Parts: sequence; C-alpha cells; structure tokens
Amino acid sequence: MLALCDLGLVLGLLFLSTPAMGSCLDNYQELLGQLQKQADFMQHTSMLLDPYISIQGLDKDGLKKHCRERPGVFPSKDALQQLSRQEFLQILNTTLGHVLHRLRTLQKDIPKAQDLEKLNIAKLNIRGFKNNIHCMAQLLPGSLEKTEPTPTGPGASPSPTPISDAFQRRLEGCRFLHGYHRFMHSVGQVFREWGQSPSRSRRHSPRRGLRKGKHRTHLSSRNKRLMPRGWLPR
Amino acid sequence: MALFSAFQTTFLLALLSLKTYQSEVLSEPLSLAPESLEVSIDSARQCLHLQWSVHNLAYHQELKMVFQIEISRIKTSNVIWVENYSTTVKRNQVLRWSWESKLPLECAKHSVRMRGAVDDAQVPELRFWSNWTSWEEVDVQSSLGHDPLFVFPKDKLVEEGSNVTICYVSRSHQNNISCYLEGVRMHGEQLDPNVCVFHLKNVPFVRETGTNIYCKADQGDLIKGIVLFVSKVFEEPKDFSCETRDLKTLNCTWAPGSDAGLLTQLSQSYTLFESFSGKKTLCKHKSWCNWQVSPDSQEMYNFTLTAENYLRKRSVHLLFNLTHRVHPMAPFNVFVKNVSATNATMTWKVHSIGNYSTLLCQIELYGEGKVIQKQNVSVKVNGKHLMKKLEPSTEYAAQVRCANANHFWKWSEWTRRNFTTAEAAPSEAPDVWRNMKSVQGHCVVTLFWKPLSKLQANGKILFYNVVLENLDRPSTLKLLSIPAPANGTELTLDQCSYQIHVTANNSVGTSPASVIAVSGDPGNKEVEEERVKGTEDGFCLSWKPQPGGVTGYVVEWCERPGDPLCDLQWKNLGPNTTSTVVSSDAFRPGVRYNFRIYGISTERIPYLLEKKTGYSQELVPSDNPQVLMSNLTSYSFTLSWKDYAAESQPGFVQGYSLYLKSKAARCLPGSEKAVLSDDSICCKYKIDNPKQKTFVVENLQPASFYEFFLTPYTSVGEGPQGAFTKVTTPDEYSHILIRIILPMIFSILLIMILCYLKSQWMKEKCYPDIPDPYKSSVLSLIKSKENPRLTIMNVKDCIPDAIEVINKQEGTRKSLTETEPTKPTYLYLLPTEKSHSGPGPCICFENFTYNQAASDSVSCGHVPVTPKAQPSQLGLLTSSENGPKALGKNYVNSLGEIPAGETNLNYVSQLASPMCGDKSSLPTNPPEPALCSEYKTQMAIPMGLASPPSITLLDEGEHDH
Repeated sequence: MLALCDLGLVLGLLFLSTPAMGSCLDNYQELLGQLQKQADFMQHTSMLLDPYISIQGLDKDGLKKHCRERPGVFPSKDALQQLSRQEFLQILNTTLGHVLHRLRTLQKDIPKAQDLEKLNIAKLNIRGFKNNIHCMAQLLPGSLEKTEPTPTGPGASPSPTPISDAFQRRLEGCRFLHGYHRFMHSVGQVFREWGQSPSRSRRHSPRRGLRKGKHRTHLSSRNKRLMPRGWLPR
Repeated sequence: MALFSAFQTTFLLALLSLKTYQSEVLSEPLSLAPESLEVSIDSARQCLHLQWSVHNLAYHQELKMVFQIEISRIKTSNVIWVENYSTTVKRNQVLRWSWESKLPLECAKHSVRMRGAVDDAQVPELRFWSNWTSWEEVDVQSSLGHDPLFVFPKDKLVEEGSNVTICYVSRSHQNNISCYLEGVRMHGEQLDPNVCVFHLKNVPFVRETGTNIYCKADQGDLIKGIVLFVSKVFEEPKDFSCETRDLKTLNCTWAPGSDAGLLTQLSQSYTLFESFSGKKTLCKHKSWCNWQVSPDSQEMYNFTLTAENYLRKRSVHLLFNLTHRVHPMAPFNVFVKNVSATNATMTWKVHSIGNYSTLLCQIELYGEGKVIQKQNVSVKVNGKHLMKKLEPSTEYAAQVRCANANHFWKWSEWTRRNFTTAEAAPSEAPDVWRNMKSVQGHCVVTLFWKPLSKLQANGKILFYNVVLENLDRPSTLKLLSIPAPANGTELTLDQCSYQIHVTANNSVGTSPASVIAVSGDPGNKEVEEERVKGTEDGFCLSWKPQPGGVTGYVVEWCERPGDPLCDLQWKNLGPNTTSTVVSSDAFRPGVRYNFRIYGISTERIPYLLEKKTGYSQELVPSDNPQVLMSNLTSYSFTLSWKDYAAESQPGFVQGYSLYLKSKAARCLPGSEKAVLSDDSICCKYKIDNPKQKTFVVENLQPASFYEFFLTPYTSVGEGPQGAFTKVTTPDEYSHILIRIILPMIFSILLIMILCYLKSQWMKEKCYPDIPDPYKSSVLSLIKSKENPRLTIMNVKDCIPDAIEVINKQEGTRKSLTETEPTKPTYLYLLPTEKSHSGPGPCICFENFTYNQAASDSVSCGHVPVTPKAQPSQLGLLTSSENGPKALGKNYVNSLGEIPAGETNLNYVSQLASPMCGDKSSLPTNPPEPALCSEYKTQMAIPMGLASPPSITLLDEGEHDH
C-alpha cells in the first residue's frame, strides 16, 4: 500500500515537472516549490536505500553502521550553500547524472521485479528533477551556461571502477545510496533557503521569459572546476 | 603385424637393457621422472593446476605410468594430500592434474612435489619410483596487496548443504578480528597468527543475492567480507522420454529441475548421448531435443541425458526399441461416403511406420456431443469403416486415430469429420388433442398437435394433413393441409360426428395417422371438481378405472389459466393407467390449475371423467375481503363479505380469521387471544367454513369501542395484515328512546295531518263561528214585534255599567299558571251624575271570542289618554296584556254560572284596542274618543256583585277595554 502511495506521489511529481513533456514552468516560485517538494521526496530512504539494504542482506546490526556515506562522494550541505545559484544547479545536475549511472549499475544486483520497479521509478524521478533543474537554470538571470535537460536514454557518464568483490560492491552501493539521500536532503534545504532569502534572490533574481529555445551550452570547464575533488562517485 | 610387434618389444627390451646396464655402471638406476613441473592456481575454484612432462621416453614410445603427488600446507613437512595419478605417457607429452583445495588457497602457502613410475605390464622391470621433484611453492598471500584484512574465498558458489571453509588474513596485529555469518558471530581456528579458518557445515540457502560473511576489527571501521552464493540443489531431469513419429527423427523430452534460486542463474547444459552409436548432441533447448535416427536400421537405443551446471552434473538413462516408441501421425484423407438415412462409410489413410507394421485405428461416432459408437480397425495403409444404425436426418461427427498395433505406445491425434444422414418418413403419428365448443349451432373443434421429436420426424416436417371423415356419411371426406410449423387448426363442423385423421409429412413421406373422433355431444357432463395437492414434482392425479372399454386416457390442463389463450396441454396415457404425475416448468406457485381427465372410447371419442384442481404450491391469500358492517346494536354487530372472491386467491381459502380489539381483558366466548405482528393482543375468531361470508359478533358491551379485522387463511397462512375497522356500540337506553319517541312523533304528525284535513269539522265542533246577530232568527222574531225602537243591540249603543278592574301588583309579572285567581273589580259605569261627563254612556261587552269586525267598530275602548295620567293608571294599562286573559278566565268562570237560558244574551264584549299589548308604543296623540256607541247590555250584572268604586275613575281614554 505504501509503495502504491509512493508511486502515486512520484508520478504526480513527474507530471508536474513539465519539462519532461516539452515545456518549462515560467513561474519561478512555482518551479522552486516543485524542486523543493521533489527534493524532499527523494531524500526518503524508503525510496532506494531501505529496499537495497534489505535485498542485499545488509540489515544486520554489525553492517548497518558501515552503510554510511563516504565523505567526499557527495557535496556537503555547507559546500552547496556556498555556491551561487547557477553553480548549485550545475553541481546538482551533474551529481544526479552520476547517480543515474550508478543506479543502472546497482540494478544488476536487484533480483525481484517489484524492487526493480521501485528502482526504475527512482530513476524516472531523478530525470524529472533534472529537467526541472534545467528549467530553473533558464529562469535565473545572467546564466550564460545552462544545464542540459536530461536525456531519456542511458547516460553517457563514465562507469565507476568495477569492484570484483561482491561484498564490497554491495557495501559501496549501500554507502552511495545513503549519501544520495543525504545529498537530496541538503538540496531540499538549499532550495528552501532560496525561497526564504530574498537578498540572494535579488542578486540572482529570476529572469522571466527565458524559455527553452534559448542558447544552451554544455557544462563549462569553470563549472567543472567548481566540483570539489572527490565529489564524483568512484 | 605380429612380427612388427615382436620386433618392437625386442627393441625396447634391448634399449632398457642398455639403460639398465648404464645405470648399473653409473650406480644410479634409470627412471622416468616427471620434469618441468609447473603449478598454477585458480582462486575462484580453489584449484591447483599441475602440468609436467616425461622427457626420457623414446620417440613414439607410450607407456603407462603412475605419478605420486604430494601437497603440503604452510610447511613442506605438513603433507595434506597424497595421490597416485595413472596415465599413459608419451615422450614430451604435457600432463595435467588438478586438485581442489578445501581451504582457500589464499589462506595458506601450499607446496607440491611429485614422482613417477612405469606401470606398464610390458616392462615390469621398470616398476620403481623416480626421484621426487623439488617442492613447488604456491604462495598467494604474498600477492594480495597491503590491505589490512582479507576474507576468502571471494564470491564462492556452492550448493546448499555443502561444507565450506572460510578464512581471513589479517595484516594488523593490534586489532582483534571478529567474523560473522549473516550477523551471527563465527568461531574458527587460528591457522597461523594472521590467518583464522572457519569451517561451515551444511550451508543453507538464505536469499537470492547470497549469504553475507564478513569480518571486522573490534576498533575502527575496518570491515571486509565475502558473499557466499548458495544455490539450491541442482535436480536431475524428470520424465525423460523419447519417441518417433516417422521413424526418422526421435524427439526426446524431459522436465528440467527447479532453478538454482540465485540472482545470477547458473547456466545449465543438457547433453544427449547414445551409447550404441556413440553419438552425442548438445541440446539447444532446456526441455527437449531431437535425435536423427540412423539410417542403418538401428533398433535399440540407449540414451543418457546429462544435465550439468557449474556445480553438479546429473544424468538419466533411457533404453528402448525404436519400433516400440512410435507415435503415429494423425490419419489423413479422411472422408465420410455413402451417407444414407441410417448408414455411412468412413475412409482414411495412415502414414506407414514400416514395411510390415500394422496400425490399430480407433473410430468414434459422436451424436449430440456424446460418443454413440466406438470401433477398432486394423489398417495397413487404407482404412474403411461402415457406420450403421444411424438416425435419419441427424448430424454426426466421426473421428479416427491410430497407434502401432504390435507395440502400442501412443495414439495419434484425432482426425474428425462431420456429416448428416438423409431424411426418412416420420416414424410416429403426431400427438393430437382437441377442444370443442358450440357456436351458433355449429361445433367448433380446435385441433392441437405436438411437433414430432427429432427422432420421430426423421427430417424436417413440411406440413400436416388433416382428414375429416363424416361418420354419418362415410363417403364424405375432407382434406386439409396445414403447413408446418403450425401446431393446430380450428374446424367448424356441423353437429354430425366426425373422425379426424392427422398425419405429419416431410420430404420423404408421411407419418402414421393420429385418429380422434368428435360427436355432436361434447360429452362434458357435469362432474364434481376435486382438489389435488401439488408438489415440487408436479401434480399427482389419479382416477377411477372405467369399467367399459377405453383405449386410453387424456389429462388436459392449461399452463396459463388466466390467459385467454390458456396454452392447452395434454398428456396421453394408456388404458391401464389410472394415475399420472403432471409436471411442468410452467407451473407457478399460487396459480390454480384445473385438470380434466378424459377417457377415450373405442370409437376414439373422448368423454370427461373427472375434474381436479389444485396449486403446485399454495400461498397465503393475496388480499383481504371488503367487510361490511350492519345490525349494530349495543351488544352485537354483523359483518359480511359476500363479494370476496376466494377462488382467485393463490391458495384454497380454508376459512377466515376475525381479530377483535377491545378494552375488555377477556376474550368473548368463541374467540381466543392472539398476538398480532405489532405485539398487540386481541381476540381472534376462527371461521372454519370458507363459504361462510357473514359473521355476527355478539356479547359486546354497550357504548364500547371495538376494532375488528377480517382476513382469510389458506393452508400456508393468513392474508396480509390490514387496517382495523373501528366501531362503537350504542347506549342501550337510546335504543329504547328511539323505540318510543319515533312512534310518538309519528302519531303527532298523524294527528296534525288529520287535524288539518278535518279543520272544518274541528272548527265546527270546537270553535264554531260567532253567529251574526243580524242574521239571527231572533232578529226576525223581534222585528215581527211592533216596537220599532227595539232593534238589535249595537255595540255602540251599549252603555257600560261596570268595569271590572283587576287588581294586579305592579312590578310583578307571573305566568299564567302562577297567577293567583284575581278577583275582578268592576267599575260600575252606569250613568251617574258625577261621573258622567262624556257624550253618553258606554257599555263594554266582554266577549270570549274576538270579533275583528266588531273590534274595528269599537271606539269605546279607545279612551284618550290624558297627559296627566297617573303612573298608577299607566300601571293598569301596562298590565293590560295579562288583563284579558285574567279577565277571560274569570269570565269563563262566571259564565259558567250563567243559566243556559240567558246565555244567548250574555255577551261581554272584548274589544281590541290598537294599543292592546303594545305598551311601548303609547300614542302620543291618542285619538279622540269616539262617540261611544250605544251599548245595551244584554245582561245586567247584578249590582250587588260590584263593589263600590273606591278608586278614581279612569278617564275613558285610559281604558283599553
């Protein structure tokens, strides 16, 4: 029942993220609210981490404490708060791209179709979220470099270094998912601060009317430099 | 060939002799030692792979040798495995041998050495061991890297129930390492200071993703582990079987075992091996495989099916004769020929399964979905079967299948054909019945017949022929043809007797005739109707056997009794039958069905025997009667419901229940207490006679309130609960009063009418007209006297001689009955000197009757009232309304004393005054007193009777008399 509710919420959020349907919301506050809600939803460990721990048999007392995020894999909340809005969106977009790729790797270790369905929903959710990030980036003024909308096909991100040890692989997967949920929690808080801090928004006041069709560029080297070392998953 | 062999052996012996000689010379025997020993490892399988060669063999020499292999662990002195490996050796041939270690190779250093010896009977003198090779060391630990902790074996795959050895290698001496299996701590043995070994026995299947085993340091986050993939036991294939359909290809099938249960399914392979031919094939499918039959007429086959996965190999065997496993192909070229009304021939062909083999074919004939014929036929190539005893004009299906007649293995698939037999003439006469009625002197006969069944019709019925044969004139025949599907016709006949023949006809012929006779006498004699009780199975009807000859009986009824069309049904019964059960799906509960039982005479004339009526299921009455109440008395009332139609109720009305509510605690005799559905209590009268339509409720209380409700009841129960009717009994005295008062009123009315009708007579008798003195005979008598002055006394002429004054107390007014007898006071008005002031004396006559004519002329009473009239005088006037009555009374009394002889002259005038009785309208201008007429007293009142006037005389005008 809970899974059904989750599914309904996810689908609802996805449908609200209109970029996936080909157009962006031009209302900054509305889009910001969308991003907040989606981030809040994606931070729940019941979406990915909890099923993964159960499936892989990591739900033992001696193992749980080792299923914690490795520092440096995902940007910390403080690091995210230090970024400008454009930089934040760039980092967020890139990080979620890697998450998508990692989820495809983890998919091989999910045996049951029911759990696979949950993983697929999470992937859809991330794609929708990335599209909303793209729309938000278009609304921000002075952003010469925009995020790219999420391609619907398999990602082109480099695959992480393969780990031959199955036990170590599942521990790393667990840590990664823990970090992912924590990261989305931080993202939600940053978005909430956007709504609460007009001073910053004045500096980066939303620019209305910038819609799709505008010039898009790939992630610049400048933005790549903004990615702290070790943020990318291994 | 033998010569060559002998030469070779001799050469070898010579060579060996030379070697032996050389060895003896060198004090070292010649041996065939393994050389170039190399050891490699397979960590995943925990295997050591050894490879070596023997160099000292001659070219093309091939010897059987045995190699002894020793494996030590940790140190060379700790030999844990010794094995002799025998094989045929050629010169410089690379030999291989593998050993699987229980302990992961990473857990300890292993060392291997070996030696060899010839084990060939051809050279028994060389049977001695060579020298050992040097120890070959296998140390995997040294290549592990610098991690502080390792756990082995990595990602091992085992079957559930296996025994597994696990170890960890720790590079840190400061931390204690604890190891866990799915969160449960394990206890192992220390192999060396850095290595600990755990022996797991009978490992279970935990989950698809494997079993987690991990070790971690007591301090810090150091953790390492492995996943042990435990699969379910690989099962052997089941139901392995092979067969051929064409003697060219064998099809082998089996049911694979259950899955391994792991996320990464272990690949399974199936191999088919035939031992006689030595052929082998790798099956592409998981559950079946085809095998080409060899063209060399191989009959026996011995198959081995081997199923194999990473962990285990399973085999099943099958030995059979090819001709015993023939599963023939389905017959072909199947036809149904020569189809007549009752016969048909089926032909087919079969695929040959050998030159001399015979097939057994099975033919099944289906009619209406059921197998009605089954036959087996032996066939070489062509099959043929005649199907008999078929029904005309009927659809059939015939199917055939075949099997090897000599060695039955399996039937082929069915091959099916449908066909329909030809028509034949109807076999049975239609079942005919009639209904008769007389219309305007003619006999109207409605004929009914039931359609023939499929078996009876033998085809499609096209029409019915009705032949009317006049029995009185046998030569007169009339033929009617009624097209199908009519099931009846109406005939208007004269009163003559007829015999009617009915036949059904199809395209082939005519059915036998059904004969029924009608006569002028319908034969519907009056028969008393009996009741029958229906059940779920129908109505069980019985009748008395007829003493005379009957050819049968017919029971007739309507399935829709209320419908004008009635849906007449009948049932023909034999002459020896005296009972039957009539059942029908059309019978409905609560519907009354009427049955008439006819006997069929030898002349085929039906005559009514009995009538029955009943319900298949009785219900409670559907409605209650409209009850009329009458004869209401203080003690009873009568109820009647004569219009109630009990016959239309959904059950036989057995009586009526009357419920009576009253305030009385006890029920009256004839009734009993009953509790209604609303829990109210009342008295219940039970009327057992259903024909009784009236009921008198008796023994009631006068002036009491009652409520009653009447409902019929059947064997099932009473009618619907209805409203109670209220009634109040009348008071018993009012009844009496009515009896008295009504006659009285009637009598009074009668008397009044009589009085009115006889008013003249009554007037004459009771109050005759006052005689007109002018017309009196006395007048003529007087006139006849000579005195002309004598004349009739006129009122005007009379002079009152006295006035009677009635004393009446002022202010009191009593009724006539209460008025005390007043002694009249008379004022003597005879002329006196003093009192006479008017123009003349006036005399008032008092008369008991009122003469209007006289009153009109009276002027004496009209005495002018002076304005000075005294109140007392007015009081007299006001009392005048009582005056005349009082006066009258007194005068009546006084008159009664008058001698009869004088009454003719004794008139006391009673003059009406305009103001009489009208004291409210006293004249303001009273008229002038008219001249008083001359009155002459006809009777002088004796003076002595009058009192002297003691009061002031009233003015004339003030007197109203």
